[in-house]
Amino acid sequence: MHSAFQTLQTDAEAAILGALTEPALEAVRVEFLGRKGRLADLMSKLGSLSPEERREAGQAANVAKSAIEGFFAAAQSRVTAAARTERLKSEALDITEPGLPATAGHLHLASQAMEEIADIFKGLGFVRAHHPEVDWDYYAFESLNMPKDHPARDEWETFFVDQVGSIMTGAKGKVVLTPHTSNGQVREMERQRLPIRMISLGRCYRRQSTARHIPMFHQFEGLMIDEAVKITDLQGVCDYFVQRFFGAGRVTRLRPYHFRFTEPSFEIDISCGACEGSGFKEGAKCKLCKGGWLELGGAGMVHPNVLKAGGLDPKKYQGFAFGWGIERTLAMRSGLKIDDIRILYRNDLRFLSQF
Amino acid sequence: MQIQVLYSSLLKHMGVQSDAASFAREFALRSMSVEALEDLKEKFAGMILGEVKEIKEHPNANKLKIALTDIGGQIVEIVCGGANLAVGQLVAVAVPGARVRWHGEGDLITLGEAEIRGVKSFGMICAPSEIGFPNLPCGSHDIWVLNDITSSAPGTPLATALELEDTMLDIEITSNRPDCMGIIGLAREGAASLQADFKDLSVKVIAPGIAELGAKIEAPKKCFRYSAVKLEGVKNGPSPWWLQKALLIAGERPINAIVDITNYVRLELAQPMHAFDAAKVAGDIVVREAAKGEQLKALDGKTYELKKGHLVIADANGALAIAGIMGGEESSVQLASTSVIFEAATFEPVNIRRSARDLNCYSASQLLYEKGLSAEAVPLALARAVELAAEICGARVSSVVADVYPKPEVSETYPVEYRRIRSRIGVEIADVEIDAMLTRLGFALAKVGNKTKATVPYWRAYDIENEIDLTEEVARLYGYHLMPRTLPSGALPDYDDDAEVTVERAVKRFFAAEGYTEFFGLAFVDGRDLARYDLSADAALKIHNPLSEDLGYLRPSLMPGLLRDVARNETTTAGARVFELGRVYLPQAGELPLEDLSLVVAEYGKGDAGLMFRRLKGTLERFARAHGLGLRLAPLTGDVHWHPGRSASINLLTKDGTELTAGVLGAVAHEYREAFKVDSELFVLSLDLAALVPHLKRAQVYVPVPELPSVSRDVAYLAPETATYEDLSAAALAATPLVRSVDLVEIYRGVSIPAGKKGVTLTFTLQALDKTLTAEEISAALELVGAVLAPLDVQTR
Repeated sequence: MHSAFQTLQTDAEAAILGALTEPALEAVRVEFLGRKGRLADLMSKLGSLSPEERREAGQAANVAKSAIEGFFAAAQSRVTAAARTERLKSEALDITEPGLPATAGHLHLASQAMEEIADIFKGLGFVRAHHPEVDWDYYAFESLNMPKDHPARDEWETFFVDQVGSIMTGAKGKVVLTPHTSNGQVREMERQRLPIRMISLGRCYRRQSTARHIPMFHQFEGLMIDEAVKITDLQGVCDYFVQRFFGAGRVTRLRPYHFRFTEPSFEIDISCGACEGSGFKEGAKCKLCKGGWLELGGAGMVHPNVLKAGGLDPKKYQGFAFGWGIERTLAMRSGLKIDDIRILYRNDLRFLSQF
Repeated sequence: MQIQVLYSSLLKHMGVQSDAASFAREFALRSMSVEALEDLKEKFAGMILGEVKEIKEHPNANKLKIALTDIGGQIVEIVCGGANLAVGQLVAVAVPGARVRWHGEGDLITLGEAEIRGVKSFGMICAPSEIGFPNLPCGSHDIWVLNDITSSAPGTPLATALELEDTMLDIEITSNRPDCMGIIGLAREGAASLQADFKDLSVKVIAPGIAELGAKIEAPKKCFRYSAVKLEGVKNGPSPWWLQKALLIAGERPINAIVDITNYVRLELAQPMHAFDAAKVAGDIVVREAAKGEQLKALDGKTYELKKGHLVIADANGALAIAGIMGGEESSVQLASTSVIFEAATFEPVNIRRSARDLNCYSASQLLYEKGLSAEAVPLALARAVELAAEICGARVSSVVADVYPKPEVSETYPVEYRRIRSRIGVEIADVEIDAMLTRLGFALAKVGNKTKATVPYWRAYDIENEIDLTEEVARLYGYHLMPRTLPSGALPDYDDDAEVTVERAVKRFFAAEGYTEFFGLAFVDGRDLARYDLSADAALKIHNPLSEDLGYLRPSLMPGLLRDVARNETTTAGARVFELGRVYLPQAGELPLEDLSLVVAEYGKGDAGLMFRRLKGTLERFARAHGLGLRLAPLTGDVHWHPGRSASINLLTKDGTELTAGVLGAVAHEYREAFKVDSELFVLSLDLAALVPHLKRAQVYVPVPELPSVSRDVAYLAPETATYEDLSAAALAATPLVRSVDLVEIYRGVSIPAGKKGVTLTFTLQALDKTLTAEEISAALELVGAVLAPLDVQTR
């Protein structure tokens, strides 16, 4: 009997090694270990043996059985691995076939820029406001310390609204398409919500149409008014914005300028990203900037007359304001290299779907 | 305003040691923007003084000559077409490598050694316009003859011969600082910016003559001061080179010495001047308003018809000049004039500005006057002109100095609020430092007790108009670049973002995420497009001064723009899903227009119309769900803009149970597609977003998740075309509460379907709240559905 079990073990090992697939292995399992298999058959013969022989044969049977089970375990993982390899092979894709994206929507570049800008100022507690695009010249000029016929008004090529052939006028003067978002300054003050930390992104209109200027464009207007707002705060806010919008290495500088509605007034420059503020690139003058600086736009401390127009006491309150072009700011960052800015608003899907 | 000056002319008046580039850098940070810096040595590189020694005929061209020219140590052959070319001339020679502007036109080009009609030419002999002096009077085919300008030897670099080893600064002067449009004002500003000494111009006081010179101001609200003096014995002629050079650098044109002097004094002192030929002036000079219809031929050769309100300088015979704007041709000073009247005056700026615009007549003087000039500047300018006329033209003063100055200016005085200055800036700047800065700028400080008052210098009379203006002077001279940067402290606003702005942003994001591309057009609309869409122009905001006809109105609707944009795009992009969210402008009598948020979402293309409609409707449904809106669609048949069989009006179910029309979902009517030449199918969802804003919610309502499984069953029906999907689904839902929802699988019209019928496959979701349904219960429920559909002539297929 002892040798019969050894033979069984040898046969089983050979059969298991020969089984390469799951079904073949299962057939071998039934042949050897099944209820009517060869092991069961040999075991049934143990009853006819003497107790001495039965004990000996039983031990041999146990050895053979656990050896065969070991073979099966090993074979099982071998066959499973082979099956997986086979499956993986059959499931292989050609990863060079072209991509098939879901239909994508696109936010307009201007919308993207506006969201991003508003988010940056939100970080400093600035709240988004909206003010009219079509407004009284009182808000666009007069209340901003630009009385009628002031030459400063010429700096804005202003559109007027028509009423039967003449310029429409009403409660607060002529009706204009606001040439800057600064018309929101006194309107915001009139709301009597202090302190003010306003960011207003809006449309402006000027009579101009060239590759660099469009008759409708956008500005973002910042206005901060409180009891102790300083020039150094404005500089800090500019840096905060510029470093988030343009990148960590960029810095700003203020240069004196003149606007009627701020005093002092400044131009804000940003260090040039192309030449890292040196003004020179590859041994020649940087083509992008002027001496290492790019002009961002105007800013200043709100003029006391403007505070007064907004119903605030200039002895108690002071603040700063800035108004910068969104398209310009965007173009300065992205290096979009748009030769003709008018394409932005031409609604050509071949352009719009690039962003 | 821009001014171009030589750095050397500023250095005469300020004790600055820096080179031009460092000066420009510091100046820009504390005063005004230096737009350009031009090294003239570099500009004139490759240009040398030559002397024409001999002239030979050109063998192949009769208008060209060959000039044998001494350029210092060698004689070279230069082909030259100058009509005035003559032996002995000192000329400007550009040798190969120099940069010149051919005939004064086009871009600068670098000269090479050339062969002109078969003759080699070593460079060229230049006209003034070819080397940067387009304003220098010179015959149109002439070369520049330098014998009167220089006595340098041939071979001398041209920059040296012309005394132009210098740097030209181009500075942008802000409109509040006309004083800096003069060399003296600019030097004072430069000295203050670099904390250097300023050396003022010293001018001899006029020693008056005895002859009478009558002058009066009849319009004292428009002319604040009028001063004049007569000079005799004038030997007029071309100005000396130093004077011509100053004008040329400033971009002006030398004319004759007397006229040049008046222009030079303006460039030096920023006070306009004028000179009349005294022989052409009869009787007293009167500053008065123009008579109606009065005409004057001005120096620009144009005749201006004047109106009441325009101011003139007149004599007994009529207008001599348009005051502050332009002199008359008749009374102008010519080379032959021997007696002249110099005038310096001050005019009211707004009237100057209005008159110049009325007449469309502009000049350097008018540009200064309209910024506002102090009357106190007048005597100095007049004296300077007299001094120069004596020096250059040997002129002597023959008359008394007429000086009509009815209301002498009083300088304003402001307190120096040291503490407030520091608090606004945010930097501790000592009192003495502040005093020093203001003093350098010309403010006179007076200390009374512990208070300080600053008197505004006359040249800043129009500019400094508030105590806060002193803060600016201190801040900029301190230097913004040297200040620390801080972030604002203090309380944050306790209010939220503007509600419409928040909605605008969320809605844009929603549709972009749904696969729609944002259109973002100009807010203008062409009146003809309004007509094409049958919108009344009266209902649109009209621009009084449009840039062009196609930008004549602000849009009252997004639809015309959408149709135009689809028509433009369909040739290059066959189909697309787009949206535009923007404001529309609705006029209101006597009020500002409404600026309402409006939304159009559209799909165009050649595809299946039913699917296009359903996609858009699905998007609308998802939008409504995401924003907590209850919407009901109703067939829209009576609106000419929309296809009657393919359109629905969108009604908003409000909280109080009423319905509000909120927009349209449908196909654009054929007429309007044709009007805008849109070939594609075009479905549009148009929403009056402004009306929806108060109803939008962040809809996040929890619906319990069923714990028991539900069952789905698809059933195919044959239904008459007249039965709508809603007829079927509503009936099925009403048949038994076990039907939780009905969805469409497909609608089929084809060979196996009889005419007038459609195949509709529905999928039912069945579920009981308290138990799992058995097969029998499911069958029974579907039979109930079948029973309610039967009266609608709907059978299972």
